[in-house]
Amino acid sequence: MTDILEARKLTKRFGGLTAVSELSFAVREREILGLIGPNGAGKSTTFNIIAGAYRADSGEISFLREPIAGLPPHEIARRGVMRTFQHNLPFEGMSVLENVLVGAHTRFGGNLFSRKAAAEEREQHAHAERLVEFVGLGELRYASVDRLSFGQGRLLEIARALAGAPKLILFDEPAAGLTRAEAQRIATVIRGIAERGIAVLLIEHDMHFLLPLAHRVVVLNFGAKIAEGTPDEVRSHPAVLDAYLGHAAAV
Amino acid sequence: MRSALGWVAAAVLLSAVAFFLSGYYNDVYRKLLLWIALALSYNFLFGISGQVAFSHFAFYGIGAYAVVIFLFQLGMPLPLAILAGVLVCSAIALIVAIPSTRLEGFYLALATLALAQLFIVVLNEGGAVTGGTGGLVNYRLPAIFGVYITGPWYTAVIVILVLGTYALLRHLDRSWFGRACRAVRDNPEAAAAMGVNVARTKVIAFTLTSVLAGIAGMVYAFVDNTVNPPIFGLENAFLLLFMVIIGGSGRHAGAIVGAVLLYLLPFVLSPLIGHHHALVFGALMVVVILLQPRGLIGLYDRYPRGQKAH
Repeated sequence: MTDILEARKLTKRFGGLTAVSELSFAVREREILGLIGPNGAGKSTTFNIIAGAYRADSGEISFLREPIAGLPPHEIARRGVMRTFQHNLPFEGMSVLENVLVGAHTRFGGNLFSRKAAAEEREQHAHAERLVEFVGLGELRYASVDRLSFGQGRLLEIARALAGAPKLILFDEPAAGLTRAEAQRIATVIRGIAERGIAVLLIEHDMHFLLPLAHRVVVLNFGAKIAEGTPDEVRSHPAVLDAYLGHAAAV
Repeated sequence: MRSALGWVAAAVLLSAVAFFLSGYYNDVYRKLLLWIALALSYNFLFGISGQVAFSHFAFYGIGAYAVVIFLFQLGMPLPLAILAGVLVCSAIALIVAIPSTRLEGFYLALATLALAQLFIVVLNEGGAVTGGTGGLVNYRLPAIFGVYITGPWYTAVIVILVLGTYALLRHLDRSWFGRACRAVRDNPEAAAAMGVNVARTKVIAFTLTSVLAGIAGMVYAFVDNTVNPPIFGLENAFLLLFMVIIGGSGRHAGAIVGAVLLYLLPFVLSPLIGHHHALVFGALMVVVILLQPRGLIGLYDRYPRGQKAH
């Protein structure tokens, strides 16, 4: 399988602290790649560099063989990399469906007054309805987002990201703050996304959630990669057990 | 086709009103229509795009002065004067918006406040070009194809301005552009992650609405046939803000309700309390923000649902 996203020797420092150090990894087509590590391992920093929120001090990122490091977030989205937010960042003044339509922003042609514009709007509207249905919020499509529970808000994040027709979707700790049942629902949705042929990069510190879901796993500790492989390989890797000491028994 | 017919019917109806009004009431009606046009475009800027700007009424003044100066000081023909006025408004809007929208919202408020004040200074100090404190007087709308548009016929021009402004803003609001504006207002970080160029969206919304205010100002210039500095004072910038918030921020109907209410209220209040209606506006503002942040239109939204519950 070919690589869709490739990170090479990413390094990011905050003052004297090196949050990410010479990190290299690749996301392959159609796979769910998990990026895990204990708190402070550099997962979020890596995520934010890929999404364009942070700029790496050095290193390169290519997406579909084009360099994307240093591009602003909206340009990265335009190239087909969409993301969700760990703390759910909905557009508060809009309905569920309108939120999803904002996710489709990059799919509109531009001209607002052409005859095509109305057809385009209808087409995206229908697509957004299908996505809202796919994540299980169909009943709430016209509801204001403040009526959603935290777990439903997370599903909305996913539908909104999918509306941009991404080739790669980035999940920032999608199970954080959810009940076990809600997390299972999210896991099912993420599997469905991968089955649609969309590559998934998932950062997560909860191994129970991630290991059954990911096809491959990259383990970080203190900003560096300490292991990489299938969930089974990683589960028994001595460096991983060491980093997760305490959690390790539970894994 | 049917919607086109609806717009024509609205234009005919709203214009017909003018033919039944005497001179004084026709003047009140014209200014009411102009306030509605301004409130609609300010609502798009403040309510939909979430930009706290105090320059909207200044752009109304810039448009008014620009068209008069281009017509009568520089002797341009009318179409060229209008085009030049639009260009001046766009250029000033871009100069203000490009640096300030890249910063926090607070800086846009400051920059636009400064622009509004600077505009008044320039008008007062502008010598023969702006007519100084006395402004520019004794001009009239040039003939268009040999016809002088006056009286209720000019009111019809204002009706077309209002309906055109409304149609354009409504179309934009329902498009991806309107959604991008509201996304930027609600959460710029998430908007950027969805592929919205936040800075560009803000600059376009600011420039577009400022030009609309300028065009309304050009139309206004031939309502009183005089432009002078006191007309374009800062208090009107705040009045626009009050109209949009009290009516219902982010909603076209809210802007219309707010403009009608706050423009007409002083006519009712003046005989009772003289010029202290600003006090009533202030109190109304506080009550709305505390009790009904969605404005009067928010009350209307709740009413039918409350009935169904019974």
